[in-house]
Amino acid sequence: MSNGPLIKVEKLTKYYPVRRRLRRLFDREQHYVRAVDDISLEVERGEILGLAGESGSGKTTTGEIIVRLQEATSGVILLDGHPLEADTRADRKRFRREVQMIFQDPYETLNPRFNVFETIAEPLRIHGVRLKSEIARRVSESLEIAELKPAANYLHRFPHELSGGQRQRVAIARGIVLEPKVLIADEPVSMLDVSIRADILNLLKRLRRRMGLTMIYVSHDLATIKYLCDRIAVMYLGKIVEIGPADEVIAYPQHPYTRVLVSSVPVADPDYVRAEVSVDDAPPDQINLPEGCRFTPRCPFAQSDCAGCDHRLLERRPKQFSACIYTEAELKPRSIP
Amino acid sequence: MLEVQNLSIEYTTEDGVLKAVDDVSFNLQRGESLGIVGESGCGKTTVAKALLRLLPENGAISGGRVLFHGENLVGKSPDHMRRIRHSKIALVSQSAMNSLNPVYTVGHQIREGILAHSNIGRHAAHARCVEVFGMVGLEEKRLSSYPHQLSGGMKQRAIIAMALSLEPDIIVADEPTTALDVVVQGRILQRIRAIQRQISTSMIFITHDISVVSEICERIIVMYGGKIMEQADSASFFRAPYHPYSLGLQNAFPSITDITGEELVSIPGTPPNLMQEQPGCRFQERCPFATSQCRSRTPPLVKVKSNHHAACWYTDQVNDFRTRARNRDTWEAVRTRIEQQETPQQ
Repeated sequence: MSNGPLIKVEKLTKYYPVRRRLRRLFDREQHYVRAVDDISLEVERGEILGLAGESGSGKTTTGEIIVRLQEATSGVILLDGHPLEADTRADRKRFRREVQMIFQDPYETLNPRFNVFETIAEPLRIHGVRLKSEIARRVSESLEIAELKPAANYLHRFPHELSGGQRQRVAIARGIVLEPKVLIADEPVSMLDVSIRADILNLLKRLRRRMGLTMIYVSHDLATIKYLCDRIAVMYLGKIVEIGPADEVIAYPQHPYTRVLVSSVPVADPDYVRAEVSVDDAPPDQINLPEGCRFTPRCPFAQSDCAGCDHRLLERRPKQFSACIYTEAELKPRSIP
Repeated sequence: MLEVQNLSIEYTTEDGVLKAVDDVSFNLQRGESLGIVGESGCGKTTVAKALLRLLPENGAISGGRVLFHGENLVGKSPDHMRRIRHSKIALVSQSAMNSLNPVYTVGHQIREGILAHSNIGRHAAHARCVEVFGMVGLEEKRLSSYPHQLSGGMKQRAIIAMALSLEPDIIVADEPTTALDVVVQGRILQRIRAIQRQISTSMIFITHDISVVSEICERIIVMYGGKIMEQADSASFFRAPYHPYSLGLQNAFPSITDITGEELVSIPGTPPNLMQEQPGCRFQERCPFATSQCRSRTPPLVKVKSNHHAACWYTDQVNDFRTRARNRDTWEAVRTRIEQQETPQQ
């Protein structure tokens, strides 16, 4: 085991070819959606990194590439110093054991014909655990870690006999049964009612403490990211626009897009005074991207130099990096002619 | 303007009768915006549908009255309701943006609505379309767009424009922004707030997101298990809620403004099964302060201060409850209690 970051992503890109429309039939050029466009980031051991952004920002794609549900177009992902160019089946299998994922909808991710025991035992069997007593022990153990206690009460239930929160716990138990190093969670609480959301968030926090898990938490919800994550990476149209300590980024956003995002979050406090940032809410064009900073067309602070933005992340506050070419003090609202 | 009195709604299902809404009363003044919040299955959407008499076939109003300008809408003929819907009470539903007809332009669809419900001419109707599009911040040229040419946020705004087009007295909005991205949601909420002030339409805003209510509603109703738990002015509610369920929700909700770093505490247990007739308070099973009284008798909605009502037997002990509700152990005790009650299934 090396001492570097557990996950290192270097110059990761994912392009999807755009289907040509009839009127583009004679257009030779193949267009692409640059879902993830040259991003680099590191996640330390035991750290929880939040990936934030709107739909189309590339946050889910990034998560899925790290678990290898999708292949990257280019770029390198290092897990514990080793590249993920797992070409053999065995490599891939080893990797799957170390990186697990939990998904948004606990109603769709569990096989309705599998009871809880079978659901959680399946990955063990795939990874070569044959001894029945060991399977039984590990299934019960991970159920209890996922706080479905006593495990015996749940083993024989089917998904339809469980509540949404319980299903998500079963999904988590299945995710941790192989004792992975990394857990990627894509919006794991957005389908759950508020009164039980906190349970799942607290469970994820405890998993980190108890199993030393490193996590990437993908969400559009800044409030849950702030609660759970150490650091946050804000994505916009395939680029990371800001990355830094979660509390700092939310309290002192450096990039105009982060400012917009933070000021859009509704707050249950009648005394809260919001720093209103007005923005055009028309969605960005994902194919014809502007030169330079991609937020320029909607940015209330944009100036002509923004076309020259090279997306480099600049350290504007301690450990807080922003891709905006201006400092916070230099940002002035665009005068409307 | 709108008075809902002792409204009860039942669904007939294969397994029996489900009492979705039980004895709900509230009223709505002109120009007021009221938020109804609660978790899935609390009956909030059912209330909205009942106001417009749009309940599914297995649902029926089993009691109570809905007075609109003094006239009881319960028992009115479908024809009569059709005239009231849209023109007097308009609905913006959660999946509304998918209810646009793909083969007509949005402008055409809004104009049709206006022409069907009023006797103004095509030109005036078109002018009205332009006007309402302006209100929701859509350009006039978008009237000739087809639904697929618009983004989710634009479609949702077109739907709101459609709801506004006949100057209804009341707009019932059921989770109108849930499917949208945060930035778009923020902008639409701003718009709704501005429009509502500008034309003094009344609004009923139904959502699971309590912070959205805080942002745009003057009054809030918290529902749980088909009943109203608390009803208050938003400011009063968010500063100091009274009902133990509301206290629990407060602990369970992460906030971007939080600086305490305190651990969130959820409410243990699950919502009650509405198929079973249950005596007492609907929340008692999950309530850390429940007593034998709560288990046997249903608490009425009582006034705790001006414009603030809560359905709890022990509103006089709220200060003590508030202190204890902040403590994690209080809720853990409920978890233990529920686990003990559950008989192990094998």
